[in-house]
Amino acid sequence: MTVAPHRDEPPGEAAARPGAGGGAAPRGTAFPAAARRLRTKVLPAIIGNLAMTIIGVIFLLPLAWLILAAFNPHASPGVVTPRFSLANFTQALQSGASGAIMNSLYLAGVSTVIATVVSTLAGYVLSRHYVPLKGAALVVIIFLTGLPVTLLLIPIYQIFVSIGWLDSPFYTSLVLAATSVPFAIWLLKNFIDQVPREFEEAAAIEGSGQFRVLLTVVVPLIMPGVLVSAILTFINSWGAFLIPLVLDANPSDTPGAVGIYQFMSANGQVQFGPLAAYGILFSLPVIILYLISSRWLSGGFSFAGGIKG
Amino acid sequence: MATITLEGVSKAFKGKPAVDGVDLSIDDGQFLIIVGPSGCGKTTTLRMLAGFERPTSGVVRIGGRVMNDVPPKDRDLAMVFQNYALFPHMTVAKNLAFGMRVRRVDRKVIDREVASIASMLGIEALLGRKPAELSGGERQRVALGRALLRKPKAFLLDEPLSNLDAALRAQMRFELKRIHAQFPVTTVYVTHDQVEAMTMADRIALMEGGRLQQVAAPEVLYSEPANTFVAGFVGSPKINLIPGQVVRDARRPTIRSMSCDIPVDGTAGAVLASLPHDNVVIGLRPEELRPRRPATGGLPAVRGVIELIEPLGSETHVALRVGGHVLTCKCPPRAGLEVGSEISVEFDPEHMKVFDGDTGMRLG
Ligand SMILES: Nc1ncnc2c1ncn2[C@@H]1O[C@H](COP(=O)(O)OP(=O)(O)OP(=O)(O)O)[C@@H](O)[C@H]1O
Ligand SMILES: [Mg+2]
Repeated sequence: MTVAPHRDEPPGEAAARPGAGGGAAPRGTAFPAAARRLRTKVLPAIIGNLAMTIIGVIFLLPLAWLILAAFNPHASPGVVTPRFSLANFTQALQSGASGAIMNSLYLAGVSTVIATVVSTLAGYVLSRHYVPLKGAALVVIIFLTGLPVTLLLIPIYQIFVSIGWLDSPFYTSLVLAATSVPFAIWLLKNFIDQVPREFEEAAAIEGSGQFRVLLTVVVPLIMPGVLVSAILTFINSWGAFLIPLVLDANPSDTPGAVGIYQFMSANGQVQFGPLAAYGILFSLPVIILYLISSRWLSGGFSFAGGIKG
Repeated sequence: MATITLEGVSKAFKGKPAVDGVDLSIDDGQFLIIVGPSGCGKTTTLRMLAGFERPTSGVVRIGGRVMNDVPPKDRDLAMVFQNYALFPHMTVAKNLAFGMRVRRVDRKVIDREVASIASMLGIEALLGRKPAELSGGERQRVALGRALLRKPKAFLLDEPLSNLDAALRAQMRFELKRIHAQFPVTTVYVTHDQVEAMTMADRIALMEGGRLQQVAAPEVLYSEPANTFVAGFVGSPKINLIPGQVVRDARRPTIRSMSCDIPVDGTAGAVLASLPHDNVVIGLRPEELRPRRPATGGLPAVRGVIELIEPLGSETHVALRVGGHVLTCKCPPRAGLEVGSEISVEFDPEHMKVFDGDTGMRLG
């Protein structure tokens, strides 16, 4: 992380322009003006930058530890420079990291697709159509956003037992999707609210039905919102621990977030090296996802040129 | 192609009427232009025809069929939106092709049609761009092109030329008339521009405050305005509307205005006699007021002081103060007039319009 220096202008430039900073003072009084400048501008800037650097280092330390430990076959809780080695990665992969990551990909992928489709449809209806008690429905949705999953897990487990949905990655991802849907609906409804209706009207008068309007006009226009919602759902499902642990006891379905625990308990001691390597492997898909979608997100959310005035 | 009828159509937004009891019927293939001041309900009327707004009361028919509950996509209309509504995420070519792709037209046909409309509108070079990269006039032409690529039952055009420069506007006016002559599709066209209305319309519907003031052919609207509002709206410079009094004891029906007794013949004269009050308004078009030549044929005339002279090249507009009123006269160029000098202007009472001073309705 680099902390950008918070400087208004280089001092040399200010001296070259008599009108700046010290006002239209004659040359002789420029020196006290510079001293005041040092006191009021430069000093606070130095202190501010120093504070930000310290905070940055505090945040960076665990990351540094993670990377250093991953390549150190004798990793410990301390930060030490390693003798470079991939032994930890091999050990992590041998103990089933790749399978667990595939399981995580399945759970996160399926739940992301389901949650995004459901939320887009629901957000569209809530934004555009008359819904009885719409205001109340929105309040309930926001309330659900804050509801802890732990609270629902026991009843969900019992329901799954009674309809025989336990130990199925698909049904587990349904529940994962459901935990993300309230926030996604709320997010996407707000995005759709911003889309001027004329675009949909223009598409409708050209003969498009509701679904075509949604797919060819609304969704492309709210793509940044859809992506944000999808990424959040993906990350939520990717890191989900309790839901897959409870709902799918099948060892071959274990996702990464659950699998990582074996390194914390094996032989009664924490295996720091493989743990760090596993952590890096496990975070790679999310990082890749960010990199891919940032290309789309940087386009921003605007309707420039479509509507006059 | 289809007839369009509005029967007692009203639209209120939160109880406030935007369109109020409009009765209008448009023949198959007719080019109807709706004009009126800003906020008079033109766009709202068009949106009810398109199906974006549901009338609060009244019936909308297209091709004889009641449309009130038919969704826009099933009405088979093409529309140019006042604010364009181009799809921002699509190129110009995709915007133009949108409707044909919905109707699954063959790719080759689409490409050909898009190319031909683009060349007609002069936007061939823009086909690969997105709307954000176009100027206002270019966007407007794309919006027009998107509508013209259809052969709908009717065109709804909301100020489709408002953002073009004068030369381009004249050219597009011509193109639209040509297209309409070639394919006489029923067209409802909204504009602020009197020249557009007068030159393009088969009929003009003049609206004000959500109500239709008059629906007539352009010449009729000009020569036979139904009320003072219509008279004041049509024609440039504006008609002179001057209050007057009925002279009851004269032998012929007579109006006294600007200290001048004006005989009124014909039906207006007959109606004048039975008017329950004496208040009238006379309407004199600037082109009907002529500086008095030395020899006069006994026409009524008024004397006034020249307040302002606006030479426009082909003609000169003169503001003449007569008593408490200012008359606008259209004079020939280089008439040798001077600000501050006193002149007489005469007019033919036969071309004068007489309105009821209380209701504003035309008499006769
Ligand atoms: N969705 C709406 N909600 C509330 N009021 C509206 C709405 N749409 C239009 N109005 C009002 O209805 C009246 C007529 O509006 P309309 O857009 O039809 O005017 P217009 O004749 O097209 O004007 P302009 O020439 O400026 O485009 C205006 O007073 C406007 O404020
Ligand atoms: Mg309008």
